[in-house]
Amino acid sequence: MAANAQKNSGFGLFTDRDIYVSGETLLAKIYIPEANSSRIIYLDLVNRFGTRISGVPLEIKNSQADGFLLLPDSLSTGNYLLRTYQKHNAAKHKVIREIWISNRFDEPGKAIQMNRVENQNKIQEKETDQISIEGIEPQYQINQPFGGNIRINPALLNEINGELLVSVAQTDHSFAAEAFLLQSDSGNEGMPEKRGIILSGIVTDKKTNEAAANITVYLTIPDSVPGFQYYKTKNDGRFYFLLDKYYGSVEAVIQCFGNTPDQRMKITLDDLFAAAGELPKFRQEAIQETFRNNIARNIDAVTFQKVFTQKQIISVAPVLTNQKTYPYYGKATETIDPQLFIDLPDFTEISRELLPGVKFRNYNNEPSLQVLNSQARNFFEETPLLLIDGIPIRDLNVIKEMGTKDIDRVDICKSDRFYGDLRFPGVVAIYTTKSDYSMLPESDQLIRLTLETIQEPATLAETNIPEPNIPDLRQVVYWNPKLKPAENLPIKCSTSSVIGHYKIIVRGKLKDGTLIFSEKQFEVK
Amino acid sequence: MSNRIKYILLLALALSVGSLVNAQETPNENWEAQKIKGVRYLLDAVYNGFPFLNDSWLPGRIEFADGEIADSIYMRYSSYKDELIYFNKSISAQIMIDKASLNGFWVADKDKKMHVFRKQYFDGFIKGDRYFEVLTDGETKLLAYRKVNLTATTPYHDINGILKNMEYTTDHQFYFYSPEKGYTPVRLNRSALLAKFVKTDQKAIKKLLRKNRMQILDEDSFIDAWKTTEKDGFKVVF
Repeated sequence: MAANAQKNSGFGLFTDRDIYVSGETLLAKIYIPEANSSRIIYLDLVNRFGTRISGVPLEIKNSQADGFLLLPDSLSTGNYLLRTYQKHNAAKHKVIREIWISNRFDEPGKAIQMNRVENQNKIQEKETDQISIEGIEPQYQINQPFGGNIRINPALLNEINGELLVSVAQTDHSFAAEAFLLQSDSGNEGMPEKRGIILSGIVTDKKTNEAAANITVYLTIPDSVPGFQYYKTKNDGRFYFLLDKYYGSVEAVIQCFGNTPDQRMKITLDDLFAAAGELPKFRQEAIQETFRNNIARNIDAVTFQKVFTQKQIISVAPVLTNQKTYPYYGKATETIDPQLFIDLPDFTEISRELLPGVKFRNYNNEPSLQVLNSQARNFFEETPLLLIDGIPIRDLNVIKEMGTKDIDRVDICKSDRFYGDLRFPGVVAIYTTKSDYSMLPESDQLIRLTLETIQEPATLAETNIPEPNIPDLRQVVYWNPKLKPAENLPIKCSTSSVIGHYKIIVRGKLKDGTLIFSEKQFEVK
Repeated sequence: MSNRIKYILLLALALSVGSLVNAQETPNENWEAQKIKGVRYLLDAVYNGFPFLNDSWLPGRIEFADGEIADSIYMRYSSYKDELIYFNKSISAQIMIDKASLNGFWVADKDKKMHVFRKQYFDGFIKGDRYFEVLTDGETKLLAYRKVNLTATTPYHDINGILKNMEYTTDHQFYFYSPEKGYTPVRLNRSALLAKFVKTDQKAIKKLLRKNRMQILDEDSFIDAWKTTEKDGFKVVF
């Protein structure tokens, strides 16, 4: 009964293999229930104590997502868990899958026991005879091209929801991983990430330690055309930012300023990933000799792969339809490259000699900055928006020592600019030669972090062995997580130089949420 | 005594409910929405005539360059500057929206009729991005460039008694536009419409207009005539 209830949960988490070596890349595909409002699903690697090791946010398309995880070289040998969840209900629903990772510098014979997940909520898969894999021989030679055909019964074809996952990879009978659904009634539901990753947190007053209202929090993604967002806090002091147009790792700066000069704030970010939550129970199993031998062979294969720098995957640049053509502070009235001119020692000299309409003065060590309002033909009385590498700065002392050698370019906007509800009485945007944000003052009001945004799509690298005496050490010879279902699906690939048992698996999901699969094995000798 | 206890308990309950309500509020309205970029709009000099398409702030929506749409914005189109101006209520400022950040906008007139404006590159004189009102959509579009010019005129005294010699004059221009073939200007009369077709088609179009009892007297009747002609498959010669 419990198994039946889980059968149609609509969740599925599959990987290219069950056994890995540290330093390898893990490929994954996730099936998500149809009625889902989130655009983002997270894939994390955690150890069996729930400590997160690495992870990526993946984009959901057609209730499916696929991606990859780089398994760090430093991982110790043992069982690990892959977990997938959506941040808004991570406390209530998580899917985990057990995998084995061997450290490539460990002795293969060292491990004698493994931990297997002991859980009732196993995600059920149904083997179907309506998908037949034809044309696969029981044995192949190494480096031999081969092909086959996947035939799907037309009756089943109408039942399949979305795309199929087809993989051909090495397999080990002594360790067959399973996926489990972890459910809990505790925990609150958060805001679904409908459009993209939501970065949230709270601003507190450092004196009172209470939530700070009416504070404008800024998020900057420094770049040649910087990304920028702002959020004005309400009584709860919370702020939210949406990261919907970024892919891969991005540097981000979150900061706020007090409403009065002596007001000091503290920014605290919410967890970027789900907490460990309730962990599954484990049982211990003795490691079989065949398993140990396979590990030894895999370690050798991966070590040689590293030596010959053979790539496992190739990233595909995502289609960006909404490239920013100009920065949020508007098109610059003037752009000055100070390096084209004579060397000047400080910003006062630069503003005097090179920046028309910019007045930077440092009388009595109290710097001031003004920009010309070209519309009104006078100088703004207020200090303009000052940016260093796209990041707003209020302390003018930061720029006073900057000479021409430190500055790559200066953008000047000589008008009363608006961005949403923010007003900028002129803009001076300085882009430094180092672009390392070393000028930024560290404080509780400013957080610098590297964010993992939506993972760039990737495909399995094809065989590209330039010399015949270099072995092809792929353990996954075919991986297509986005195969459109059809009555006949021909597949072509070639075996690698790694001998052993391989499995071709076709996986899919039916409209009622049932996960189906069909598989065939062969041996490479 | 018991009343006092009840009062204290009630107060404590009210405070705890209040603190719960304050615990986490719903995020700001439209926090995810793209922000409008622009510069402060400085009022145009007052002359005879009118520099705007509409005489008041009207609700409309804008489409950003990436296709995102922002709704319920109070705006007016400056025909003189060919710029869209919106009123930001929270900071009480009239802001001229950066043309580069928009694809177009929709604005309702006082009769609640929606006018669609698209930003398009104009390769004639003067080259650059312009807001064209899309009068008819299709393979060949009929576009209007609602231009107002500042022209010299005979000296006059304005309402404040100041002597002036400039006035805003409307200079609406109409074009047939095809993405492949570009723009061809057209005037709003029967002979100008006929001149946009090959000679062999002109006779048939005349007959068609006559049959439908269509007289081209103004913009609306020109649009009707063009729609009828287009429906019958006649193609404009660029």
